[in-house]
Amino acid sequence: MKRLFAALLSLCLLAALLTACGGPAVDPDGPATITIWHDKEDEVAAVLQEELDQLAPDIQVKLERKDGLTDSLKMVGNDPKAAPDMYFFAHDKVGVFAEMGILAPITDFVDEKTLAGYLPMTIKAATYKGEVYQLPLYFETLLYMYNRLYMSDEEVPATTEELYAYMEQTTQGGHYGFVEQHSTAYYAAGWLHAFGGYILDSEGNPGLDDPNTIRALEYHKKFVSLMPTEGEYATVNTLFREGKAHSTIGGPWLVPTAREAGIDLGIAPMPVVDETGSPIAPYSGVQGVHVLKVAAERKHDAIAKVLEVLTGDSVGTAIAAASGCAPARETCYQDPAVAEDEMVMAMYETAQNAVPMPNVPEMDVMWTVTENLLVEVNMQGADLQTSANAAQQQALDLIKQMQ
Amino acid sequence: MSRIKRWTAALLALLFLFVMAPAAAFAEGDDYILIYAQVPQDWQAPHIWAWADDGTNAFAAWPGEAMEADADNPGWYRCWVPATATNIIINASEGTVQTKDQKIEAKNAWFTIAGPEDVTVSYDQQTEGELPEYVATFKIHAQVPESWQDVGLWAWLDPDGTNAFEAWPGKAMAAGEDGWYTAAAPVWVNRIIVNGNGGEVQTEDLSIDPAEIWVTVAEDGSAEFTYNDPNAPVAEDITVRVKAPADWTGPCLWAWSAPDGTNAFTSWPGEPLEDTGDGWLALTVPGWVNSLIVNGNEGSVQTGDLSVEPGKDVWVVVTDAENAAVSYEEPADAAPAPDSASAPAAEPQAPAEEPGGMAVGVIVAIAAVVILAAGGVFLAMKKKKQ
Repeated sequence: MKRLFAALLSLCLLAALLTACGGPAVDPDGPATITIWHDKEDEVAAVLQEELDQLAPDIQVKLERKDGLTDSLKMVGNDPKAAPDMYFFAHDKVGVFAEMGILAPITDFVDEKTLAGYLPMTIKAATYKGEVYQLPLYFETLLYMYNRLYMSDEEVPATTEELYAYMEQTTQGGHYGFVEQHSTAYYAAGWLHAFGGYILDSEGNPGLDDPNTIRALEYHKKFVSLMPTEGEYATVNTLFREGKAHSTIGGPWLVPTAREAGIDLGIAPMPVVDETGSPIAPYSGVQGVHVLKVAAERKHDAIAKVLEVLTGDSVGTAIAAASGCAPARETCYQDPAVAEDEMVMAMYETAQNAVPMPNVPEMDVMWTVTENLLVEVNMQGADLQTSANAAQQQALDLIKQMQ
Repeated sequence: MSRIKRWTAALLALLFLFVMAPAAAFAEGDDYILIYAQVPQDWQAPHIWAWADDGTNAFAAWPGEAMEADADNPGWYRCWVPATATNIIINASEGTVQTKDQKIEAKNAWFTIAGPEDVTVSYDQQTEGELPEYVATFKIHAQVPESWQDVGLWAWLDPDGTNAFEAWPGKAMAAGEDGWYTAAAPVWVNRIIVNGNGGEVQTEDLSIDPAEIWVTVAEDGSAEFTYNDPNAPVAEDITVRVKAPADWTGPCLWAWSAPDGTNAFTSWPGEPLEDTGDGWLALTVPGWVNSLIVNGNEGSVQTGDLSVEPGKDVWVVVTDAENAAVSYEEPADAAPAPDSASAPAAEPQAPAEEPGGMAVGVIVAIAAVVILAAGGVFLAMKKKKQ
């Protein structure tokens, strides 16, 4: 009798657990609620909310700002009672969450023909192991910016050798011809890519000792020698904003503060590396929405409608107007307001060569390893080949530990 | 060390700029209005001081901006001030005579000053000819050999050759009490020559940025320049005292100034900290330092960037790479830092919010019960099988 009771109890509990995992059934006649977590600025969230409000009253979309979004998803991403239905975030965590099994392919809701209307770089960023897990909305890249008080439009360097000559001529008396975060992996990556080097390939293999990576780092050193030794975020941005640097490579987030500081800001294409004929090709970050597997089946139709709204050009153009982001949909650039936005169009141009940040989980360990290598080479004068070999081995060891 | 001294001067100049910046905080893009003034004959070198009602000053320091004599209207001086300025004082003779505070409207104004108490203002043009267009200017300071008299500034735009001033030797530079001569030039110039003795002696062509600049001229006419005020007050060296984890061998200090990025030491990991015998490691660094990193094991372990107030002695207690306490008095309970290797591991950080935390807990509890129950079933089956 006791054995039978124990068996029955177990079955009951299993049934209860399975029911909980399935979550409440969606009433086919009632309004559906879609919750989207995000970490974006208010202007961007407001645009999305306004666009998605057109689905009401049938579908109520709630955009919830979530600090520590990725940590929270790691905790509750497969919990139907705690997880959101979708989230709005950068593409670079796609691999982590896909490997956790909490993401549903976006192609379950959006047909391939629709995705063909997006900039190829954005779809590449959203793709992990052959599946598209993100509907891209907009992207960001680094930009070449200059202070027109010092550098005229005609003086903007088209090549890196022109840039170097300009730096030699103008770096004096506490002013700099060009500054960048030279020993930060995100910024140095653009130089690596221009030589065919890389930090991490799409398969998760580090490339810190790749011959092209080493060529790039060797070439880059002469530029670093004409910049402040400390090349971190505050130093570089402050030097540019305070008129002590003629030009910089920075993110679009620098643009508003530079303009507020009274700088007559110019934005130009990235210089082409003379040695390779390729421009400095920075990383791009693609922001978009992802669907969680726990909601994919239960709320399939509602999610499909939300995504249908988000594939409209009006979303991209409205976000561009609200916060200067570059839309992911190609057709948005035919909008006159977008086409006239200097910063957005500069990002569009840069996107032709930009490299999406790797979205594989292995990238998590690469930032620190790469930055240590850059500090050794750029700031401590360490032997490049020796440091690169050591960094590569450290990266391989850390990736092995992850597995 | 001489390198450090040179950087010290440069850095303090920057610090000075940062200190002064809030006092003259009108934005660069502000519109400007023209203020004209006719002053009593015994008022020498009139200046203008201007500010907004919220206290924001238009110029860095009293007596303000020098007014320029209007060659087409003898007796009249003029100066541009930001249109957002709502109050002015016109002063002269190095600030020893001045008007009372004068309220102004945001439009060009002509002041006729018969005496400090006798001031009339008109917003109708009182001078002849067209009013000049506003052109932003920047200041050029020069320190010249004693033998140079009547110091002048010549400035132009290269390569198109447009001159800023009508004829050589250009604009007279005003002598300051600090031994520096000063003049302003329009921001579109990119070449200057500092000259003296009516143009008989001069520097070579100097390629410059249109930003406030200090030029030091040697006896042979050669010149060096900096965009950082060399007259800024020099902060005295400070002492950094450190307690480092016991397993950090050869602790070193890396120190620099943010945001300009000037380092106190030439290369990482910096200078070794010296044992003072009182439980502290110590090192003297330039007073302009505002950022520190304590490191050990030849720089392979380190703290994060530690922001400190420049010019103040500082005590740093490093518990481990992630934790360091900064204070400006010796901490009373500064026990030796524990060996980080034996320190308890930090607690895992909880997510910012715990959405559905209860649900997770419930599921974990249910799962635990299920496992126990399943185990019970398994045991029951096993027993049965036996």
